[in-house]
Amino acid sequence: MGKKKKRVSSKVWCYYCDREFDDEKILVQHQKAKHFKCHVCHKKLSTAGGMAIHVLQVHKESVTKVPNAKPGRESTDIEIYGMQGIPPDVLAAHYGEDEEEAPSKAAKVDIPSTQLVGGLVPGPLGVGYPPQSTLGAVPPVYSAAVPVPPTGWAVPPRPQPWFPQHPAVSVPPSAPMGYVQQPLFPVQGVRPTLPVVSTSTALQPSQIAPPGLPTSTPPLPVSQPLFPVVNNNVPTQSSPFSTSLPTSVQPSTTAEVKGSIEVHSSVNTSVPGSYHAANISGGAGANSHSYASGPNTGGPSIGPPPVIANKAPATQPAVNEVYLVWDDEAMSMEERRMSLAKYQVHDETSQIQLFTHCYPFDEMSSIDAAIDRRILESRLAGRMAF
Amino acid sequence: MSNFLTATTLGNPNPNKSFEVSEPPNDSVSSLSFSPKANFLVATSWDNQVRCWEIMRNGVNVASMPKASIMHDQPVLCSTWKDDGMTVFSGGCDKQVKMWPLMSGGQPMTVAVHDAPISEMAWIPEMSLLVTGSWDKTLKYWDTRQSNPVHVQQLPERCYALTVKHPLMVVGTADRNLIVFNLQNPQTEYKRIVSPLKYQTRCVAAFPDLQGFLVGSIEGRVGVHHLDDQQQSKNFTFKCHREGSETYSVNSLNFHPVHHTFATAGSDGAFNFWDKDSKQRLKAMSRCSQPIPCSTFNSDGSIFAYSVCYDWSKGAENHNPATAKTYIFLHLPQESEVKSKPRIGTSGRK
Repeated sequence: MGKKKKRVSSKVWCYYCDREFDDEKILVQHQKAKHFKCHVCHKKLSTAGGMAIHVLQVHKESVTKVPNAKPGRESTDIEIYGMQGIPPDVLAAHYGEDEEEAPSKAAKVDIPSTQLVGGLVPGPLGVGYPPQSTLGAVPPVYSAAVPVPPTGWAVPPRPQPWFPQHPAVSVPPSAPMGYVQQPLFPVQGVRPTLPVVSTSTALQPSQIAPPGLPTSTPPLPVSQPLFPVVNNNVPTQSSPFSTSLPTSVQPSTTAEVKGSIEVHSSVNTSVPGSYHAANISGGAGANSHSYASGPNTGGPSIGPPPVIANKAPATQPAVNEVYLVWDDEAMSMEERRMSLAKYQVHDETSQIQLFTHCYPFDEMSSIDAAIDRRILESRLAGRMAF
Repeated sequence: MSNFLTATTLGNPNPNKSFEVSEPPNDSVSSLSFSPKANFLVATSWDNQVRCWEIMRNGVNVASMPKASIMHDQPVLCSTWKDDGMTVFSGGCDKQVKMWPLMSGGQPMTVAVHDAPISEMAWIPEMSLLVTGSWDKTLKYWDTRQSNPVHVQQLPERCYALTVKHPLMVVGTADRNLIVFNLQNPQTEYKRIVSPLKYQTRCVAAFPDLQGFLVGSIEGRVGVHHLDDQQQSKNFTFKCHREGSETYSVNSLNFHPVHHTFATAGSDGAFNFWDKDSKQRLKAMSRCSQPIPCSTFNSDGSIFAYSVCYDWSKGAENHNPATAKTYIFLHLPQESEVKSKPRIGTSGRK
């Protein structure tokens, strides 16, 4: 509807991964949890540099990159805290990106990826998040194809790590080929078209399998609600896609798309399957970004949400990220507690106070204990209101 | 009268005006367990002790009487009563399980060992065996008269949660594995699934009708899972124990023995009562000032015991041993809180 572009850019955002947040406090929490956390002992530091120094001094390891950061933003030398310390050119570029969408849309459409319009939308976009839309020709297509307004994509997407800024955008064309297949897959709606598309490629089925996106239902639903883009425009024309992607027009569509997606993957974890990993906010907590709460609302099989019989539950704020109070997937609270020296000591001498006043079972027969008991009972009885 | 007290302490540890058990442990409580035969409550704690109180109830008045306690060498993590209500088992970081015939005044003796702390245990009356789960990735079944386990079951990961309702047993381990066993054939895993929740498993509870189980995670979510493939469409998950953008862990799931509704308790210090069949929350209780690491119903569901103390959900840095306080409270559930209700809106709409 009429979400102003302006509004989007006035939100705070993370320098390292380009994600946006409602307020700075949450941004800081995010940075501490995702970028300034020691990978060895999970201690949260206050800056990237501080984290690097901690790892060096305490664990004797060298950290050169900020975890979960986009390429080009991984330096530990830049002192970022919340919105402070962001280099002016990056700052401008971020807000500039917002402005660009509308005009670029028209321009980009002319790009060979005219097919993009059709093709793009379907799978990758759906799954791939709006971010992709800003990748090269993608953005315009995205907007064009999808009813979502230019800003639309900016809003819903939880800033994905592989967000527009990505320089690698241009890479897509050839390399991604192989992987490209994957992202399409996840989008459920697109699925049916896939077989049509690339009957020849063995890639399809196999590629699809690894990400497991389509197969494993739980993670899938996760992505769906987030992105309004639906695979309406599945391009049936993009059938040849697997093979001659880079060359022919049609393929290019998918190529673009896939390329961008592939970029994602590589950006993220440099593993083909990363896309999959990124999409599924699954077990490894590493992906415990936004998906946790939003998409998971229904869980694998969604029933009507529980109705609160007497008290309204805390309304879910429209926050993209939830902050787990206990966020360590690798160990339980008790295991962490046990690591404390005081609990590991074989405690034979400590003067732990046992019950000071006790009514041991074997003394129940003794007169004193019986009298004590009667007194207690009568006190109880006395308090009873009739 | 207590106003000035609550003003000085940060937050009210007992906003629900529950009855406070006397002489609580000196460090956090790790488990609470009521005797199946009478109102005797056992609590295990990080102060290495296992304590037992007799709970007396007279209408709305409740009294607690400390009865006895034993010590382990290291923090105790779990406990369970034998079905005859005479003996208590407790185990923990000292990797041993002590069997304590407390009602007859007997002394505890070690009946089980593991290679790593014992996180969960349950007594299976139908088999007269004690099953223990440990961080050493095994489940062991013990006949208390023998020093060697009757059976050792390998788990894919450390045991984090356990629930038994013969013949259904569900084990939750690290890495979100959930392993279902049919105790009639305990040597074979009946089913192994990945948790429907995306985060670390924290607790599980088997349905009283054995059709499935509940699973709670560190991400303020509970999954309702049915075992039968035909009933998979009835599975769902719901969010709970969240405040603003903070998501707290669900630490405990307990079914009411009579009504079969259930309670959840979380790191946010709140406990709620839910009805999974009508998918409603029956009652949301007020948040206490500290997390609730464990809770339990007594044998007839007339008393709900819960502990308010630090569960480590915010790490060591938020623990101040000098000022940390531990409480055990007893809540008397009212019928409206624990009795099933038909869903509002589906009936009665003219």
